[in-house]
Amino acid sequence: MATKINPSFTDELKKYGAVNMNACYNCGTCTAVCSLSTTDESFPREMVRLSALGLEEDIKTSLKPWECYYCGECTTSCPQQANPGELMMSLRRWLTAKYDWTGLSGLLYKSLPLMILAMILIFASVLYFASSVSFDLGQMLHAGHNFEMIAIGTIFIVIFIPNLLRMWYFTILKTKTNVGIKYYFTSLSELFVQMFTQKRLRDCDDADHFRWVEHLVLVLSYLSLLFTTVFLNWFTTENMFVIVFGYLISFVVFVVTAHFVSDRLKKNKSLNKFSQPSDWFFVIWLLLMGVTAFLVRLFIDLNLLESNKWLYIAHLTILAQWALIIVPFGKWTHFLYRSFGLYFSKLKTKKS
Amino acid sequence: MKRIGVYICHCGGNISDYVDVEEVRKSVEHEEGVVLAKTTMFACSDSNQNDMVSDIKEHRLDGVVVASCSPKLHLVTFRNVTERGDLNKYTYVHANIREQASWAHSDDKPGATGKAIHLVKAAIAKSRYAEPLYPNQIEAEKIIAVIGAGVAGLKAAASISDKNINVILIEKEDRVGGHTAELGDLFMSDEKGYDLINRIYNDIAQRDNVTILTGSEVISSKGSIGNFTLKIRKRPQNIGDPVETMEIKVGSIVVATGFESYIPKEGEFDYVVNENVITLPEFKLLVDKSTGDKLIYKGKTIKNIVYIYCVGSRQNEGGNTYCSRFCCTSVIHTAIEAKKKFKNIYNIHLNRGIRTYGKQELLYAESLKMGDIYLQFDQTTPPEITSNGKNSIVTVTDILSAGKKMSVEADLIVLVTGMVPRSDQSIGTMFKIPRGRDKFYNEIHMKLRPVETVIDGITIAGTCQGPKKISESVNSALSAATKSFSYVSKGTLETDPIIAVINEDSCSWCGKCLEACPFDAIEKINLNNREIAAVNSSVCKGCGMCAPVCPPDAINLIGYRNEEIISMIDVLA
Ligand code: SF4
Ligand code: SF4
Ligand code: SF4
Ligand code: SF4
Repeated sequence: MATKINPSFTDELKKYGAVNMNACYNCGTCTAVCSLSTTDESFPREMVRLSALGLEEDIKTSLKPWECYYCGECTTSCPQQANPGELMMSLRRWLTAKYDWTGLSGLLYKSLPLMILAMILIFASVLYFASSVSFDLGQMLHAGHNFEMIAIGTIFIVIFIPNLLRMWYFTILKTKTNVGIKYYFTSLSELFVQMFTQKRLRDCDDADHFRWVEHLVLVLSYLSLLFTTVFLNWFTTENMFVIVFGYLISFVVFVVTAHFVSDRLKKNKSLNKFSQPSDWFFVIWLLLMGVTAFLVRLFIDLNLLESNKWLYIAHLTILAQWALIIVPFGKWTHFLYRSFGLYFSKLKTKKS
Repeated sequence: MKRIGVYICHCGGNISDYVDVEEVRKSVEHEEGVVLAKTTMFACSDSNQNDMVSDIKEHRLDGVVVASCSPKLHLVTFRNVTERGDLNKYTYVHANIREQASWAHSDDKPGATGKAIHLVKAAIAKSRYAEPLYPNQIEAEKIIAVIGAGVAGLKAAASISDKNINVILIEKEDRVGGHTAELGDLFMSDEKGYDLINRIYNDIAQRDNVTILTGSEVISSKGSIGNFTLKIRKRPQNIGDPVETMEIKVGSIVVATGFESYIPKEGEFDYVVNENVITLPEFKLLVDKSTGDKLIYKGKTIKNIVYIYCVGSRQNEGGNTYCSRFCCTSVIHTAIEAKKKFKNIYNIHLNRGIRTYGKQELLYAESLKMGDIYLQFDQTTPPEITSNGKNSIVTVTDILSAGKKMSVEADLIVLVTGMVPRSDQSIGTMFKIPRGRDKFYNEIHMKLRPVETVIDGITIAGTCQGPKKISESVNSALSAATKSFSYVSKGTLETDPIIAVINEDSCSWCGKCLEACPFDAIEKINLNNREIAAVNSSVCKGCGMCAPVCPPDAINLIGYRNEEIISMIDVLA
């Protein structure tokens, strides 16, 4: 059976951030320079081609977009300025939307007004909640802490698990890859190694590995901040070590994200030339989280929070927006899908 | 008795590494008539040439032989040296001991030397007979005919007229402009085809030295360079008018008869049998003539247009193996036009590698940027057209997707047809212009003599020579115009003296030479009530085909008379 070409697909992909990908004349330079592409798993040219022809099924079942860490080498070398790196990025956004059973990811990626509306709604809800408890700080802190735990659990069960199952269905089951059950277990290490060390990014060809270190630091400090606030209850704890540790990591999150934001503003590398709203929301909200968490704890320690409740409301708003929008439907998911993507492609090499 | 000087060249070592040049010199220095025999490192060098000139004068030589490389390389060089020594240049005789001795027998040095000695002796023998010859002077008519008034013919005519020579432009159709006049927007320019033609036509139509004959055909030609007589038939302009015929005399002719568009066979890519399949010229016309913001064909709004490239070009041996050159660019340009002009157009190009050479690459880049899709197929797996009852479906195996089979729904299928030679070859046949394997007219040398034909006085311009885009046609037209002008500009012409001559007494007109001559140089004349053959000196090329077929041996080739050749054979034996 011949596969049907869909010439209008590129119009759709442009909404996810693809830039000038049609200019590709299939020279293959991008694939040749990509340090992550291999003979068996070759990209990005193949993905550019599938996209230009609009072969949605082939893209949906491919794991290759997750294998790219956006070093931008391909984009720099492309003689046609077809931005293959940005195409890979937009495919990741598109895939995220396809995996998401609620369809919200797609809507929020494609429509900035909708995204802003959702953010405003959450702000309004936080305000509504705060007024319902008469702006009582103790109640707010308590509810904030509970909210975090409930949100994490719910999002995992309602959004992430079904979406990961869908991802598995598209990429493993639909492609009729026969993987023995035992490999799911023996390959689990790949999932965790990739998730917590971003090992693959190290294989990118930038000499000093700075990006990898920066990324790794951010992932680890973000996860620690999450752990400290949710499980160690940073804002209310008396434990000196936890308090100092919290300060330290929220500061690190702030520094690293501030650097990311300034790079995106400077557009000094191909990977941050074309920032999409989803990219901005991700880095700015992460930065705001670090800053507000830091300040909240500082105000607590200085006994200023009681008189500056707005700060906590702001922090709670940022947190809620982060947890309810950016994490389940925004760029945060890339972290999850990428780890699973690499896990699944490892499985595929084990197919019987 | 002739006084002959002989020069034997080392050619660096090209000759002397295998041929003992000193031995050769010794073997010939005492030949009858040889007054001087020398070896030289490079015979063609300036110093040796100067030595030769002074030798000729000092030793009062009247014959010169150089034994060196192929005459193709240096015959003219040494003829000129002889002339500088105040001898007639045709008395010079050349011996080739490099290609014919040293290089050919590098494995057998004594053999090579022996052969070289024979070759030089044969040249000396010929030299004893060599006599001064003088080019034939003929009057040339200072009028040039241009056949075909397409863009090439029009520009050729304009260029000749600029040189203050009368031009007669002869066009078979009732209007000028050929294919270009049918074109809308032209690629890489902002002008329309018909506007371009009007501009050139309006310019030349008012010139006194240009005569434009439309609806006219050349039906016969007599004569040769300098003096062609063309018979022209002009179709009646109004019903009832008589057919006009006229004779014109011209000195040279530019042939610019153009091309025909390839017409696919019925069923070739569903042509004719599927109404959604059209050719490139038909599509160009459709895009140019359509108005509104939708492209409508046969009542249907067109969205997906599939282009199938190289139809009628780049075929297997036996078909049209050549690339038509213009069509990649032309179709991409038209696809861009269509996309700009109409809403919701998707262009899908099924090609065999894009050949938008030169500046036209910009068009390809533009079309890619606009989102046109390119799939590349191999000649062995051409696209297939089927139908789903409602629409045409084109299936193709895409090389650029690792040989994946793809299909696309097509509202319109455009066959990118190329150029083929005119089916009416009467002009070429009339002038005996040779044709290449592709059936287009052939030039003498692709690179060095690109507009001349082997028929003296006849040049070719534009697409009658092979596929060209407009700018290339105009280039060749301008160069053909200049070349044709140079034939007649002086009013007289010189032709080579080495031609055939007929011995009037022994010729008994059997007609055998007439059959043998590839250039139609022989005609029957009546001399004192006797029919004999005569050679038209301005047509004869001196090829010698006629001499050996003559039963009473009545034909001699000047410069290669029987006695000369026999004396050469005698020393070789
Ligand atoms: S380098 Fe650019 S033009 Fe070449 S295949 Fe990659 S995307 Fe296409
Ligand atoms: S951005 Fe880097 S990793 Fe991604 S495809 Fe391009 S070269 Fe490969
Ligand atoms: S110009 Fe292009 S379409 Fe035309 S014959 Fe050559 S390759 Fe084929
Ligand atoms: S020498 Fe050749 S061209 Fe001349 S008349 Fe004889 S056959 Fe014809």
